Amino acid sequence: MEARFINQIQIPKNPNRRFTRPPHDFPRFIRASSSTSQEPKSYRGPKPSKNLVADFVSRNDDSVRSLPIYVGGASLLAVLFNRALSGIAPVADASSSQSRADLLALGLAVTNLLTGLVWLSIRPKTITPIEPEGVDCKVLEPNLPASIVSELLWAWESLKVATCCKSLVIVYNGICLIQIGMAAKSPEDKKAVVVNTDKLMNGSVYQGVMKSKAQSYLANLSLYPGRSELPFLPPNTQAVILQPLGDKGVAVIGGNTIRGFTSSDQAWISSVGEKLDATLGRCFVDSNESSQETDQ
Amino acid sequence: MSVRICNFPSHPSFLLQPRSQSQTAARSTRIFARTENESSRSDQQQLNLSVLRFTFGIPGLDESYLPRWIGYGFGSLILLNHFSASPPISESQLRSEALGLSLAAFSTALPYFGKFLKGTEVEKRSLPEEGEQVFVISSSIGDSLKEDLAWSTYVLLRNTSTVAVMISIQGELCVRGYWNCPGQMSKAQLHDWFKRKTDEIGLADVKETLYFPQYAGSGLSWDVLPDGTRSVFVQPLLRNVNESEKVDGFLMVASTAGYAYSDKDRAWIGAMADKFRG
Repeated sequence: MEARFINQIQIPKNPNRRFTRPPHDFPRFIRASSSTSQEPKSYRGPKPSKNLVADFVSRNDDSVRSLPIYVGGASLLAVLFNRALSGIAPVADASSSQSRADLLALGLAVTNLLTGLVWLSIRPKTITPIEPEGVDCKVLEPNLPASIVSELLWAWESLKVATCCKSLVIVYNGICLIQIGMAAKSPEDKKAVVVNTDKLMNGSVYQGVMKSKAQSYLANLSLYPGRSELPFLPPNTQAVILQPLGDKGVAVIGGNTIRGFTSSDQAWISSVGEKLDATLGRCFVDSNESSQETDQ
Repeated sequence: MSVRICNFPSHPSFLLQPRSQSQTAARSTRIFARTENESSRSDQQQLNLSVLRFTFGIPGLDESYLPRWIGYGFGSLILLNHFSASPPISESQLRSEALGLSLAAFSTALPYFGKFLKGTEVEKRSLPEEGEQVFVISSSIGDSLKEDLAWSTYVLLRNTSTVAVMISIQGELCVRGYWNCPGQMSKAQLHDWFKRKTDEIGLADVKETLYFPQYAGSGLSWDVLPDGTRSVFVQPLLRNVNESEKVDGFLMVASTAGYAYSDKDRAWIGAMADKFRG
């Protein structure tokens, strides 16, 4: 079987490299630098200052959200109280300057109340992550070149750190290259369930992803009937992303939170998938060619 | 004025029917492929909102700043009322006015607080008008490293709100995006020019990540960055050498949007930096 795989690294260079623009005068960067040393200076610039407000708000998200409601409600009562205290009838007309001041204060109180309500309504639902049941495993296909192994491990580390991913399985060219993270425990020998690549590749999940050539995000795995085709993932995996690697493989990424992968994560995962496809494709073309030569 | 139903994270804005709709209207939708930079600030939670959004229908008008305008407007009206009133001004009126003015000040500050809450949209980046778009990569490095550098700079420009990215590994640079550099220089000269500039700034051995979400107010003035830069993030590239970590270089990204790099963005940028580790 000859697999001619043309190395396609589609990294479009910037088409508008404009070096023909007439130089503007940028007086700022013509700095007479008197340092002639070759050693780079160490960084002595300002360190970023801590933004206390931002830290406070992020930490006390819930109470800050309802703060404007309390402020607005309290001021509303205070205005009425003030009126009662000074013996003026609470009539909302703009006749006297007292009433006008009161009305303006009321308007502001209502603004605060409404803003507080808006903030409360857009509070994102907190979804707790669920610890996956299974065993930790790290299974790599033997005899892979070191550069491929480091690339696969790098992909796993990035996913682990930056997303809610807890399991990763990469199948390429019919071989399971890596199974790492949490995996389902097989009942017989209490070790990780081995990935059955034939079963996976003949299943509807894989076929669907290959046909559409697009990433498939199963945000709530328990609702998905194709769950049985991924037996190697822990049974309580909450979300799964299936990223096709070109048209020869797929990366199965399991997460521990329902809808845990944000749209930013999805974009990053598809970029990482393209890179893996480029790297793996090159490696497998080379090995195909070398096996062809040894056959002949 | 119009009412429209929208299905994506929205600015805090005045709702037509605040509470009853939000609970029932949260449908879970399939996440569509990202077309713009909508990175949410929440780490693990996906926002799936269907909210009735009250809007004036004027494009470009940001209703989340409405409390601020109301604060300014009503505050100035209170002052006007105060000074146009004939003395003697009663004590109760003074109390009302004091209350009104403090409420106005609080309302003015509300959009600023709201920016740091979870679930607000990140500002979109705008491309700088001046500054050259460049792609410079050192010629004295191996092909696989060149490919890695080209891919990571491309991905950083595409997946975050970055307009300018620079990666330096052991003195060799890869620079991509909009930078404030002189035109009409050959690639090699441009590379040396950037190297000189970054040596002057002294980023070669920065040991920890630096994040300046409001570049203009931080007292920095790095001339290489394009005009209109508002966020800068620097990530050192470390190398494990015999159990100690040595700084090998750095990765710098700059954006024209303020507070452009959320925790998640910074985590991914750190992952990109790890690719060049040792």
